[in-house]
Amino acid sequence: MKEDWKTLLSDEFQAPQPKHKKEFLRNLRAREVSMPEMLLQQVAYVRPSIWLFALALVAIAIVGSLMRVETTVNVLTMLMPFSAAIAVLETRRSERCGMAELEMTTRFSLRSVVLARMMILGIVSFLILCISSPMIAAAFDAGTVLTAVRILIPYLITMSISLLAERSPLGRKTGYASLAIASGVSIIIYWIDNYEPNVVANYLGMIDSWGIMIALGLMAFTAVEQWKTINGVEAFA
Amino acid sequence: MDLEEAYDKIYRYAYFKLNNQSVAEDVTQETFLRFISQKGNVHEYEIKYLYVIARNLCIDEYRRVKADPLPEDYDAPAPFDDRREERMMVREALAKLPREDQEILLLRHVNGEAVGTICKALGISRFAAYRRLKSAEDKMRESLEVNEG
Amino acid sequence: MKLTVNGITKQYKNKTAVDQISFQLTEGVTGLLGANGAGKTTLMRMASGILTPTSGSVDADGIPVDTEEYRALLGYLPQDFGYYPEFTAREFVQYIAALKGIEKKKAKKKTEEILELVGLSDVAGKRIRTFSGGMKQRVGIAQALVNDPKILILDEPTAGLDPKERVRFRNLIAEIGKDTIVLFSTHIVSDVERIASNLLMMREGKLIYEGAWNEQKGDLEKFYMEEFE
Repeated sequence: MKEDWKTLLSDEFQAPQPKHKKEFLRNLRAREVSMPEMLLQQVAYVRPSIWLFALALVAIAIVGSLMRVETTVNVLTMLMPFSAAIAVLETRRSERCGMAELEMTTRFSLRSVVLARMMILGIVSFLILCISSPMIAAAFDAGTVLTAVRILIPYLITMSISLLAERSPLGRKTGYASLAIASGVSIIIYWIDNYEPNVVANYLGMIDSWGIMIALGLMAFTAVEQWKTINGVEAFA
Repeated sequence: MDLEEAYDKIYRYAYFKLNNQSVAEDVTQETFLRFISQKGNVHEYEIKYLYVIARNLCIDEYRRVKADPLPEDYDAPAPFDDRREERMMVREALAKLPREDQEILLLRHVNGEAVGTICKALGISRFAAYRRLKSAEDKMRESLEVNEG
Repeated sequence: MKLTVNGITKQYKNKTAVDQISFQLTEGVTGLLGANGAGKTTLMRMASGILTPTSGSVDADGIPVDTEEYRALLGYLPQDFGYYPEFTAREFVQYIAALKGIEKKKAKKKTEEILELVGLSDVAGKRIRTFSGGMKQRVGIAQALVNDPKILILDEPTAGLDPKERVRFRNLIAEIGKDTIVLFSTHIVSDVERIASNLLMMREGKLIYEGAWNEQKGDLEKFYMEEFE
């Protein structure tokens, strides 16, 4: 018997069955799951369509920059509101699918689930921004930060208004208020881009001098709205 | 690390140290409770620290505890066990080893711990752990061969 | 373990759904009987921490209902629940296991065990939306059990089950009730008669009966009919 003895060792070290294992483990406070772990867990449950949409936005940015399509940034600013709307709709997905009541009774309450989802979608949007702005900026000879700000502003506007709307009684009833708001923002952008050259010029001028401040302000406003939404998800109707 | 698996490992280890079922189980549970109170937030039950705690608790208990009497059927061979002789040989070879060699064999080959975990658990250097493990394995092989030949 | 419900009340604008209810439960199966609209669901939601009572409190050995620690002890089956449309039975139970903080490897093992227990092993990989009402209900029972709860609250668990499933469910609950606090609501008297060692009855938000039911007290079915119908 060459190395066989190692497998036989287990029998030699066998202990009698423990008597209180099950109760003890059941009463032992289960380990806590850290936020990164929670995020990874929830990443697996993000809908494929959301990834596809994000990929499509990145693809548009890359192709548009490489082919020097002048309207790339306009198209992105028009599509980003939908990215925001999808994120906001995600806050109500549990409720829409009838999972809310279940998710409220698990250890990580619905609130942390929704928080994790919002963070994931936030990170996704941030990645889109991080990839597309430098590419567009390089292709069209613009500043990276200002390009990012241009893409970000409609996104933030849509997100903050949508969060507000989804919490309102009317928004709760319709369920898809965010998409309506995103469409509205998008149409306004399209209108201004095509029919109001003066406004565009003024807007771009304003972005040049105040863009970062405006974006920061909107971010703060959005963060407040998100906070309110997340705190409200467990208010069981 | 699965909690149940960790419990089994620590319990087996404590039983090896103390040869007393109920005290070994008490030590096992105390080990987990101390781990939690030391760490505050438990994200992961780290087995190497569990061993360290268990080992210290066993040292405290060792002087006070009387070993369980061996069950009467302890030596009874299982029927139809074609490896009975091998088993007996392993048992004898193991009995000849010093306790600390037995300990390291338990950790490595029964509980399946990595050497990194073992050296932490025993409070020795990685090199010392390798050396002790090697020497224990050599002694086992030696006495098994002698026995066979 | 002792589950203490202390004077809970749920007041809505023009209705008191649950009115000053108090009781204590220990390990064992307790049936909650009452007609529709008696306040059973509201009571169970408060005991599960979903609804905040207008007044009163719920705790388990002093652990308040609105804490993570309490929820770690809890298994809950709502009267009605949905699922993310893409979920299979296995994914659904694993998802809940993950939210209950069960480590991945263990969650997988536990999920298979539980699905076996409720008799869904062979359809574990099928989408829930293809399931019958009874099968879906069994998925619901499975998710409630996946964390080995100390407190199990089931709102109308036998709804939608066929007679065979119902028998299986009763056996399961009787077994679990040996070392778990089980509270389940129903409006079917025979469910309660078979497995509940303790009984609560509600009418119009109030507790009208509490305790064991035995032969000396007469026919439960008859009593129930007289009280509720």
